[in-house]
Amino acid sequence: MSRHKYSTSGLAAVLAILALLAPAPGLAHHSFAGYEPELQIKFSGVVTEFTWANPHVYVRMDAPDKATGKTRRWLIECANPGILNRVGWRFNMVKAGDTITVIVSPLRNGEPAALLKQITLADGTKYSNGGPAGPATIE
Amino acid sequence: MSLCKCLFGRNAVTTLLCGMLWASTPAFAQSGAQVIRGINGSWEAYPQRAAGLGSTARGSLPAPAPVPEPPLKPEHLTKWKADQTRNAELTQKGLPPVTSGMACLPEGMPGMMQGTFPMEVLETPGQVTIIQEAYNQVRRIYLNEKLMAPEDAEPRFSGHSVGSWEGNTLVIRTVGVKDSVRFRNAPHSMNIRITERIRLVNDEFMENQVTIEDPEYLTKPWTWTWMYKRWPGYKIQEYVCEDNRYFEDPALGHQRLRVQ
Repeated sequence: MSRHKYSTSGLAAVLAILALLAPAPGLAHHSFAGYEPELQIKFSGVVTEFTWANPHVYVRMDAPDKATGKTRRWLIECANPGILNRVGWRFNMVKAGDTITVIVSPLRNGEPAALLKQITLADGTKYSNGGPAGPATIE
Repeated sequence: MSLCKCLFGRNAVTTLLCGMLWASTPAFAQSGAQVIRGINGSWEAYPQRAAGLGSTARGSLPAPAPVPEPPLKPEHLTKWKADQTRNAELTQKGLPPVTSGMACLPEGMPGMMQGTFPMEVLETPGQVTIIQEAYNQVRRIYLNEKLMAPEDAEPRFSGHSVGSWEGNTLVIRTVGVKDSVRFRNAPHSMNIRITERIRLVNDEFMENQVTIEDPEYLTKPWTWTWMYKRWPGYKIQEYVCEDNRYFEDPALGHQRLRVQ
């Protein structure tokens, strides 16, 4: 997957929505300004590590890069256990080996890390990251 | 007759008489403490900062006015405004400045009283305890005790608090907030004094009128009102900041995520 080959169609509309729905979880810990606020990408992959801890929950996953075909290991930052429990997550609902699909906002600096917007588990159930997810800008 | 003898009377008559005396005394009056005033329970900041942070319940009460700018003395206000502008510019560029929260430090007072997550109020004889879920922050407010002088107060994130009921208002006075603690990035001295006036607006809402005094830094008291909405049945969760992955970028000084 390439961060630089995304379509800009509909981007303005998404931008407007996201301006209203700016991510807020984790206010107590740090800023999310390092992530691309206007970009949401969607991809699937296999979980290699799931860490349920404060100040934030993290998922590591391997996903094929659409541009190169090579596997890329991503770090997906989620809200904290408290927020996720409140929106229906469970501490044990993701485990290594699971195939998941995520909608995320990637880091602006190009490193393979991203802020979760929505996760779809192997059984198809969807969970937010606390705040509402907008539509994926690119898939 | 002492409570000890009441509870451990040597014969049945003594025990019975003691029990009757104990039962006829108003709740908690035995310890000289106040009766419970109904602020017990879980609360969330109102209005909610964002979806997902609190309950799904919405309230009908108007939101209180935003916290005003700190009335800092001119020499401090100039730097504060410059810092605010710089921080906003850096954040806009995706280079958010470092914060104490990033280092897993708690908000302390008064920030913890409008923390990100829900808080629990416990009324017990002689004490009100407030637990903010974020960072497991706890403050103990001792009722009807004398407030210590700021110079005698060991610096703490939540300071040292005493409280008293004035009618239906719990008045809390706090000194000893560490001078490294920042609320709205405003500096303060170890002579800071925080006064809170907490009261139930109705069964659903609680109000906190906050006043900060610090003649070394402020030209006048800094005051505002915070509101809380009751969250019946909510159980405060654990928050131990054990897995921090953020660090200060060595070159530019902004927040960075440790990706690998």
